[in-house]
Amino acid sequence: MTKQTIALFRYLMLGIISRRLFVLVAVLLLAAVLGGSFLQELAIINGDAIVSAFIADALRYSMALLALLVVASAVAEDYESSQFERLLTMPLARWQYIAAQFLAITSLCLLLVLPVLLLVSLYSGPAIGFYWAAALWMELLLISLLGLLAILSLEKVPLAVFFTLAIYLLAKLSGLISLMLAESVRLSDGSVASRTMEMIFGAILYVIPDAGSFAESDVFFGGFDLLARLGDQLLSVTVYALFLLAVCLVDFYRKEFSF
Amino acid sequence: MRRSERPMLSLPRPLLLAFLLLLLAQVAHHHLDRERYESVYRGLGRPFSATLYRGLAMGSEQLLGYLLAIRLQLHDNQVGRHFRYSLIDYSLLIDWLDQISDTSPGTEYPMLLASRVYTSTGNREQLRQILGFIERRFDDDPQLHWRRLAESSVVAKHKLGDLDLALRLARKLSQQPTSVDLPHWARDLEFLLLAELNELESAIAIVQALLTTEAVNDPDERRFLQGKLSDLQQRLSESRQFPVK
Repeated sequence: MTKQTIALFRYLMLGIISRRLFVLVAVLLLAAVLGGSFLQELAIINGDAIVSAFIADALRYSMALLALLVVASAVAEDYESSQFERLLTMPLARWQYIAAQFLAITSLCLLLVLPVLLLVSLYSGPAIGFYWAAALWMELLLISLLGLLAILSLEKVPLAVFFTLAIYLLAKLSGLISLMLAESVRLSDGSVASRTMEMIFGAILYVIPDAGSFAESDVFFGGFDLLARLGDQLLSVTVYALFLLAVCLVDFYRKEFSF
Repeated sequence: MRRSERPMLSLPRPLLLAFLLLLLAQVAHHHLDRERYESVYRGLGRPFSATLYRGLAMGSEQLLGYLLAIRLQLHDNQVGRHFRYSLIDYSLLIDWLDQISDTSPGTEYPMLLASRVYTSTGNREQLRQILGFIERRFDDDPQLHWRRLAESSVVAKHKLGDLDLALRLARKLSQQPTSVDLPHWARDLEFLLLAELNELESAIAIVQALLTTEAVNDPDERRFLQGKLSDLQQRLSESRQFPVK
């Protein structure tokens, strides 16, 4: 069973890793460094911290998008080339495909995070570099798993990408949404419509990951217990990642494939 | 050897007339160009609230605060030109600085912009406004902002010529508790200003208070203060013997 899963994982990794991926990563790193250098010219004080935080944040969002696109397009290709139908004729359980995908996503995130670790360590020192790499790895893992769920369910890359980005942005802006909800409750006339909206958004905020699941760029400005932050994030990401894997399994087992 | 010159009125009349006309044309062009230059300037927009900025920062409040401060810092440079600070609406500018300070508490950038950049204005009213901002926001974190308050005191004295304001700012610095780690010169600013204002008795009282309390432990600083004290006492006795009429 394990051997089959590992073989499937290796096959998936071969599909993901390409020269184009490395070129894209190099371009993103270069763009972040150039943008950071421009900012350093403008900053009057704290230039190093501002540049490090800018580079780290720019790479966070670009790597997240890259990971999401890679995962979504790989699974979409499996749909298009009827790969699932072929795989299911082999002595493989469906959970093994999800397990292999999980391993592939974990490795892909690690690949994407390694250059970020080097770059951020160069700008901010190894302690913050390691924090950021670990925190970013968890964040990328979460987004990629969300992407995996989206592409398994929706089967189309654009839909899956938009859905995942929407959830990601909702999670990142959860503070603002909570604030807007609190304000709207204060200003609302107490009508059924406003109460319904409040309930819907409240429920969405319960389902999506909260701000604690993501890397925090405030660490570049000092005064934080990095290990404690990583611990909190690890707990939050573990719970949410397991939940996402469970939903992926449920969804994948429910799918009908015609042979 | 100095070459002798012909009087202006002996020059050909058309040349003189042309000179005067071109001078007038130059002045008119400069005046109109200046108006056009100022009309190109786009004023500051009203900032959003700090709460909204914090919500939009997506967890990077500090970085967003710095980016907003850099964006504000670049405001006086538009279409490749630097505009005079007096063109900026300082009420809006202070609103921006307040929102940035609240978006990323603990940052020194807005206070630094206020004390180093926006005190360059030649408009006295604007200068008062920005010094008022620094005085107000100093209380957020005296340990972080003491340099800005000290600079403001110097600006109030030398640029604004408002000694009362300078003294008030210096007093605010000297009255900070010992838990705020200030260099001695910052605490001494008040009595140095008083001495300069010839308020010798008040200056002596402050130096004596500094020497008798636990505020000053450094032997070099105590020696400096004792030297200043005898200097002030001597100036006081001289002024009593030979009062200035």
